[in-house]
Amino acid sequence: MRKATIIGLALVAGLMLSCGAADAHGTGWRQSGMKAVALEFMYSTGEMMSYREAKVYSPEDDRFAAQTGRTDGKGRFAFVPDVPGTWRVVVRDEEGHQCTAELDITPEFLGGSEGALPVSEAGGSDIFVRALLGVSIIFNIALLVHRRRH
Amino acid sequence: MHISEGILSGSVLVAGWAGSIAGISYGLKKTEPDKIVRTALISSAFFLASLVNVRFGPSSTHLTLIAPMGLILGQAVFPAVFVALLLQALLFHFGGLAVLGANTFAMAFPALMTHIMFGRAVREGTGKFRVMVFSFMAGALAVIMGALIAGALLGLTDRNFLGAVKLLVIAHIPLAVIEGAVTLFLVSWLKRVMPEFLS
Repeated sequence: MRKATIIGLALVAGLMLSCGAADAHGTGWRQSGMKAVALEFMYSTGEMMSYREAKVYSPEDDRFAAQTGRTDGKGRFAFVPDVPGTWRVVVRDEEGHQCTAELDITPEFLGGSEGALPVSEAGGSDIFVRALLGVSIIFNIALLVHRRRH
Repeated sequence: MHISEGILSGSVLVAGWAGSIAGISYGLKKTEPDKIVRTALISSAFFLASLVNVRFGPSSTHLTLIAPMGLILGQAVFPAVFVALLLQALLFHFGGLAVLGANTFAMAFPALMTHIMFGRAVREGTGKFRVMVFSFMAGALAVIMGALIAGALLGLTDRNFLGAVKLLVIAHIPLAVIEGAVTLFLVSWLKRVMPEFLS
């Protein structure tokens, strides 16, 4: 009986020792040396897209977001790319407005030797061209329908 | 008022497309050839109105012009809204392609209802004040109706969205007031300058 108790206690002690590392769910922090990409999102009117849902898609997985969050009060959002390729950041509001920024992250940028990110313009400056294109398409469709009716 | 892509359930999306396709077919059938250019003009105005932001307190919203569309186009409103929303989705990323049917229905149906409810009163009304009141009511009600339909589509997708419906309607009240005023001025101007546009 005593032998069994000793064996049992030894087992429990062994288990407790082996779980010691798992129990230690502490937290800590350190400053990362990795370079972050900070973006600003705005509407065509210049108003910032404040507190809007933001999703980051890595070049490795275009279906599931690598990071989700919200822009800050001034429409800013930052993330830390860790692989080279085209990263996509999609910001949208509850009314259906959506802005997609595509960024070509180079190995040089990740390596830290390149100071500035070669970012392609997120779009927005060509809004009038797109508006004109839209109106033109509408009138062309109307012309097409008109010709078919006659 | 656009509903974002990926929010509505499959069955609600299908219902939205069914309603829109029925409206578009009916609209195309009823549109007379001499009114096609007018339809394109109003569709363009609706397409561009989304770019006009109206500041209201700390936030801003954009015009929809649902009621003027309904009052001017009548049954042709569904095709006009559909084309404009399609181009908004493709060129400005407003809404989306899968949700296009639901968005078309949520905006074109209130416009059609505006035409049915207020079209005659606005067109044939003689009293200036009476026409102004009806125009304002048409503009405001069209926005509230659109918000209610969008809310209903969200509620049918998930009951958890029902709480957001109330907020959606409340959030659209300032826009309803603005649209009411815009419709009032537009109708008054059209009745004076181009009354045939409302016929």
